[in-house]
Amino acid sequence: MKRRGLLFYARLYCKILAQDLKSKMSYRADFIISTIGMVFTNIAGFVSFWILFRNFSTINGWGYYEMLFLYGFSLVALTPAQCFFDNNWSLRIYVYSGDFIKYCFRPINLFFYYQSEVFDIKGLGQLAFGLGTIIYSWIKLGLGFTPLMLVKMIVFLTTASLVMIALQTAAAATCFWIQNSFYVLDLAFRFKDYAKYPITIFSSVFRFIFTFIMPIAFIAYYPSLVILRPDEVPLLSWLSPVFGIVFFYVAYRIWMYGAMKYNGTGS
Amino acid sequence: MNLKKYLSLTRNGIMESLQFRLSMFIVFVGNLLYLIVVYFLWKAIYASSGEEVVNGMTFSDTLIYLVLATALFNFMEMYTVWQMGRAIQSGAIVLTLLKPMEIRRYMFWEYSGNFVVNFFATLLPTFIVVSVVTHGAIPLGLNLLYFVISVVMAVIINYNIDFFVGTICLYTESIWGINIMKQVIVLLLSGATIPIAFFPETIRTIVYWLPFQSIYNSPLTLLLGKSSDIKDVGIVLGTQLVWVAVTYAISKLFWKISLPQITVNGG
Repeated sequence: MKRRGLLFYARLYCKILAQDLKSKMSYRADFIISTIGMVFTNIAGFVSFWILFRNFSTINGWGYYEMLFLYGFSLVALTPAQCFFDNNWSLRIYVYSGDFIKYCFRPINLFFYYQSEVFDIKGLGQLAFGLGTIIYSWIKLGLGFTPLMLVKMIVFLTTASLVMIALQTAAAATCFWIQNSFYVLDLAFRFKDYAKYPITIFSSVFRFIFTFIMPIAFIAYYPSLVILRPDEVPLLSWLSPVFGIVFFYVAYRIWMYGAMKYNGTGS
Repeated sequence: MNLKKYLSLTRNGIMESLQFRLSMFIVFVGNLLYLIVVYFLWKAIYASSGEEVVNGMTFSDTLIYLVLATALFNFMEMYTVWQMGRAIQSGAIVLTLLKPMEIRRYMFWEYSGNFVVNFFATLLPTFIVVSVVTHGAIPLGLNLLYFVISVVMAVIINYNIDFFVGTICLYTESIWGINIMKQVIVLLLSGATIPIAFFPETIRTIVYWLPFQSIYNSPLTLLLGKSSDIKDVGIVLGTQLVWVAVTYAISKLFWKISLPQITVNGG
């Protein structure tokens, strides 16, 4: 198979995206309700956060605005998984029904083609909410602003998002081996809610688990330390882009391995 | 009422859910992780506040409350909205409507087997573990009886709300958005994520006038309640009973006027 360049895939993605948006627009009510649902989720998350901090002013040395920053950071970092990789949720249905075989017959990267088919617009609401939260807490914390900080933010947000994508992709790929893999995916999806807490609240055993085994600490905690506490950045924070890429690559290989093993159902 | 036909549905449900042992295990692991996160989070919160008792609740009060709320949530989660939404979209709802039993009853009893399994698989073990670990923080007495009565009513209220929300799918053909909205509202306003005692005064007053707190807060208050004053118990159970009647009437009426909306395209 001929190797194709990034430009080819970018152009292809835009074409597939346009088709997907067209088909979404024919279910307008569903789109509007889903968007409202997403906004609801974010507001409820924020309200529970606010209620908690009305009773307690700090958690483990983390103030209100610092926690808010973490929260916003995690929301933004989770958006790409929500927007671009939403088709992972349907994978088990395609695999189970046998429809997955259609993806195997295209002369392009299987993983790319499968994920490109669905773009989840409602994730954009989360992005806006997360960005608003980051900017608000940024101003309140008086962090100042330099172009270098912006570059850091972009790099660390992007690589942090790879962690959630990796978790979701690996969880979705379990459907190639086990039935009823919905619960695995749901489990991975619930992890995202724990990303907004500073890892220091856990005991050392769970700190290890949440750093290396279920790497949710890389979604918000480690990367945001680079901006929040520039004087005491641990090594793991600087390494978090590397970890993001490694986790993503491993998940991608697992997914592809499963897909290559896939035999279809014969229907 | 001929109980036999209902119990045979219960039996089917038990056998069906025992088929999915792996998913039960994964759900178990997920809950365990959730509880670990909750434990460390609230431990850190209480440690930072430097106070033993916040809003009349100690650390172990809060923890027991949240652990049991999670167990109750798993016990009561029926996925009714998903089931109804899918049945409406695929047209399979016609088959349920043809059954010689009212659809509300049929769907409830069809699921009831899971209650039995969940009771022995999650609720009872959690209860025993909590009461052993905390050395009798749960008083064992008449409150157990109140708790059981309260849970039965909570299950009915929860189902009525679910059925009501599922009926909305007849109009919108949207499942995800509707379901997430319901879930978020119920979890937050029922006190399942943060005990209602921590809510600000005004919000707490509003929440007490809504049906959601009858689902998690009422049974847990009765179970952990220090006062076994029959008047207090009567008020809590009475409120629940009112909500049972109100939600039943509303969801039944809404279904009745919505049913003509149904359109099934072939099938």
